[in-house]
Amino acid sequence: MEKSIEQIWKEGFLKQEALIAPKVNELYNRKSIHLVEKFQRMFKINIWGIIIGASLILIASLGAGAGLAGLIIFITLLAVAYSAKLDSDGLKQLDKGQSSFEYLSSFREWIQQSIEKYGSLYRIVYPVFILTFYFGLWFSDLLEPIREKVAENSSNLIFGMHVPTTLLIIGGAIAMGYFAKRIHREDVELMYGKVLGKLNEALAEMEELRTTK
Amino acid sequence: MSRDFYKSSILPYAGIIIKICRAYTDTEEDFEDYYQEVCLQIWKSKDRFQDQSEWSTWVYRLTLNVCLTLMRKSKKQKSYESNELSPGDQKEENAQAISDESLNQLYAAIRELSEIDRAVILLYLEEKSYQEIAQIMGTNPNNIGVRIKRIKERLKKKLDGKVN
Repeated sequence: MEKSIEQIWKEGFLKQEALIAPKVNELYNRKSIHLVEKFQRMFKINIWGIIIGASLILIASLGAGAGLAGLIIFITLLAVAYSAKLDSDGLKQLDKGQSSFEYLSSFREWIQQSIEKYGSLYRIVYPVFILTFYFGLWFSDLLEPIREKVAENSSNLIFGMHVPTTLLIIGGAIAMGYFAKRIHREDVELMYGKVLGKLNEALAEMEELRTTK
Repeated sequence: MSRDFYKSSILPYAGIIIKICRAYTDTEEDFEDYYQEVCLQIWKSKDRFQDQSEWSTWVYRLTLNVCLTLMRKSKKQKSYESNELSPGDQKEENAQAISDESLNQLYAAIRELSEIDRAVILLYLEEKSYQEIAQIMGTNPNNIGVRIKRIKERLKKKLDGKVN
């Protein structure tokens, strides 16, 4: 005999198993794993971004006749990408079997260590990048006409380079090296700010859940 | 979240929370996530509850809002992971959660409705008055009757003569 929608609904729920509530003690399990996985995906995209960017710089520098500078930047960025890849593999080793709170705490610790590590690394990478770019571009085939013009019109030269401009660039490179950690923190905030905000929020909630009786 | 709060303020409404969560999820795993998230949000938002409505009305509304939000998020996530699990697998997993075949078919038909129609029919099947449904959905009670009639017609069509 055919039943009405209302009958199916009522009779279906008379059976107890249809209304068994899931346990609420593992509230954050999948949420935590999703959060870390989202970060991993973004991190992976970032690594590929560095590799692609480095390759484009190499190609452009070869085109501009500054192959050596391009190669130095390419190798430097590739080293950064490789180091990030190794770190990313380390992130996969985080024990998913521990509690969500411990899991996310380990993840936050990993991020903080990573920010610290790359902040230090960029103290070298930023100046190398800027100086190599400047010297490479200056001595490239592309800038040969400008180089000749500067040589004709200025007496303030060192190795064929305009001294005030060169000092300005070196000063800028040193400043970038000095502020590398702060710049990197801002960079991380810009790229992963949303995920990190969620991470802190989740940890704060978990902390509250753990302490509320 | 305290056990007392869960027992006194959530557990009496667990039935409707379960029914709503099932209507918005395809898998048992998602269902458990939605249920837990609803409980968490009730606990987190309890201080914002004002006596302008019944606690139960507030719980229904919050449950629906959480489910709708999670479903939208999950749609985005699924489009990213679309190759990992086919829709067929998901439906099969869900069908195993409830043993009553007719109820399973009805749920499957409800899941094909729009997000809002799902909410309306769930509240109707829970025997809420048009006034209450309108209050929960934030709409005019006059529209509810017509809407329910239309939804029931569509469900009957989807169930292909298995209901009267």
